[in-house]
Amino acid sequence: MKNVYIGEILKNEEIAQDCFLMRVALHVSFPDPAAGQFVMVRVSGIAEPLLARPFSVYSFERQNNSCALDILYRVLGRGTQVMAGLLNGTQVEIIGPLGQGFEIKQNKKNIILVGGGMGVAPLTYLATHLNNYVCSSSSAMYFYLGAQNAEALIGVNELKNLSCTAITCTDDGSRGEKGLVTHILLQGLKKFAPEETMIYACGPKPMLKALAKILRKTKYSCQVSLEEKMACGVGACLGCAVPVKSRNSKPAYKRVCADGPVFDINEIVWK
Amino acid sequence: MAETEQINMSVKIGRLKLKNPVMTASGTFGYGEEYADYVDLNKLGAVVVKGLSLKPREGNPPPRVMETPGGMLNAVGLQNIGVEAFISEKLPFLRKYDTKVIVNIYGENYDEYKKVTRKLSAVRGVHAVEVNISCPNVKKGGLSFGADPKTAATVTRKVKEVTDLPVIVKLTPNVTDIAAIAVAVEKAGADAISLINTITGMSVDIFTGRPHLKNITGGLSGPAIKPVALRMVWQVLQNVSIPVIGIGGIMNAEDALEFLIIGAKAVQIGTANFINPQATMEVIGGIKRYMEMTGIKNISKIIGTFKA
Repeated sequence: MKNVYIGEILKNEEIAQDCFLMRVALHVSFPDPAAGQFVMVRVSGIAEPLLARPFSVYSFERQNNSCALDILYRVLGRGTQVMAGLLNGTQVEIIGPLGQGFEIKQNKKNIILVGGGMGVAPLTYLATHLNNYVCSSSSAMYFYLGAQNAEALIGVNELKNLSCTAITCTDDGSRGEKGLVTHILLQGLKKFAPEETMIYACGPKPMLKALAKILRKTKYSCQVSLEEKMACGVGACLGCAVPVKSRNSKPAYKRVCADGPVFDINEIVWK
Repeated sequence: MAETEQINMSVKIGRLKLKNPVMTASGTFGYGEEYADYVDLNKLGAVVVKGLSLKPREGNPPPRVMETPGGMLNAVGLQNIGVEAFISEKLPFLRKYDTKVIVNIYGENYDEYKKVTRKLSAVRGVHAVEVNISCPNVKKGGLSFGADPKTAATVTRKVKEVTDLPVIVKLTPNVTDIAAIAVAVEKAGADAISLINTITGMSVDIFTGRPHLKNITGGLSGPAIKPVALRMVWQVLQNVSIPVIGIGGIMNAEDALEFLIIGAKAVQIGTANFINPQATMEVIGGIKRYMEMTGIKNISKIIGTFKA
C-alpha cells in the first residue's frame, strides 16, 4: 500500500522575485523519485487551497533517518500564494513520487537539456542522474537554460557541480546570450548528429511548441515534461488531459499525471 | 475490542447489500485500479466506476479543472474507454475484490442506455447500474434527460426493461424541482436514487478575460456544495420511499453522518478522494468511531433519525 506522507518544511526561500525553493523533510520510507517524476503538495489542515498542487522533483537527498525533497515554484495563483507564506516547521501532505519520468538512454553521445524558467527543476534532477554516466563515458551533456531576464534565470549555480556545459540565455540579454532558448539551441544544433543525441526539455508551453516545430522534420529524439492543472495526480480525475496524435482525425487525450508528465515530443498535438 | 466486533455497519439499497454505507462517487475513483495502491478496495461498501458509454469518448479539450473557493469545477466531458473495454480490461481486476461494483452508465439516447445496460447485465461482477441522467458537461443527452420528469422516467423505464440488476438513478441538482424528478423515476421503477451530481458553475481569469475552463462552464463539487446537497437529499427523502444515496461535498465522517441522519441509506465520496486518496477509509473509520462513542451498535439506528 502507498501512503500519503506528512512532510515538514525545512526551508521555503524566495530565491528570486516570486520564485521559491521549498525543502521538505520526509520519512525514510519515501521512495526514491525517478528523474522527471513529481509530487502532489498540500498544506495540512487548511481549507484553501483545497486541492494539492503538482511539482516536479528538483532534488532528493537521502540521509540516515530522513529524506529531503526540494521543489521549485513560482507564485502564480492562490495555491502558490499560500505556499509562499508558509514558515519552517509547517506540515505538508505529500503524495508521490508520481508519474512516468524521463527514459534514460545511456548510449547517446550528446545529451541536451533544454529548460525554460521553472523547467529547470526536473532537468536539473535528471542531470544529477546522468552525471555519473557522463563522467565515465565519452558522452557530453549540454544544458540550455533560458528565462525572460537575469533575475528570472533560476538554478544556474547548481549546474556548476555537474559535468555539463551550461548555455544560458535571456530574452532581454541581461544574462548569457540574448534570445529565446530554442533559437540559441537551433544555432548550435547542427553539430550534434541526430542518432547520437537525446534531447530532454521542460518549460512554458510556447517554448516546447517552438521546440517541437524546430525538431518536426528532423531525426532528433526528444522527451518533454509537461504541466497541466490537476486535481488528483494519480490518474482518476482526468483533469490534466493533453491532446495526443491519434490514428483518426478525432482528438485523443492522455493524462499528464499518469501517462506523463514526460512524453515523446512527437506524440503531442501542439495547438 | 469485543464491543467493536458487535458494530454492524451494513446497509441495504433495495436488494443490494453493502458491508458499509460508503461508496466512491463516479468519476472520482477511475475504474478502481487508480486508487488500489492507496485504498483496500475490499473495505469499501461499493466502488462506483467512471461513467461508461456504449462507445469510447475522448472528453472535452483542456483545461478541464479549476479550483474555486471550497471546491472545484470540472468539465471532463465523460471521457471513458467504453463499456466493452471496461468489461474486458477493467472488470476482471475489480472481480478480485470483495466489494460491490456499481457501474455508472451514460447514453446519448434511450437506445444507447439500453445497449450499455444489456452488456453490463450479461457479465459477472457487476452488482448494480447507476444511471447518469445528469452530466452537465456534454452537449447531447445527459442534462436534458435529467432535467425533465418525463424523460427522466423514460430513461429509467428503458433501463429497467433490459436488466435484473438494481437500477440507481443519479439526479442533477440543476433543476427547478428535484422532488418532481425523484418521484417520476421512482414511479418508473428505479430501485434507488443517488444525488446530487455537480452544480453547474463557471470561473473567469481576470488577466486574460477568458474562462478558466475551455468548456466555459463546468460542474462544481467539493465542500462548497454540501449544504445544497443535504437540502436536496432531504427534499427527495420526503417525497419518495425508495432508498436514497447522498452525494455532495462529503469530506469526512461528520459530513457523511449528516446525510445518514437525514435518511440517506448510503453515501458517495467524490472530490475528497482527490484531496486525500484515503478519504473513503477515513470516513468508514470515523463512522465506526462515532458508533463506538455513542454506543450505537447498528447503523440502521442512525439512518433517518433526523428530528426536524
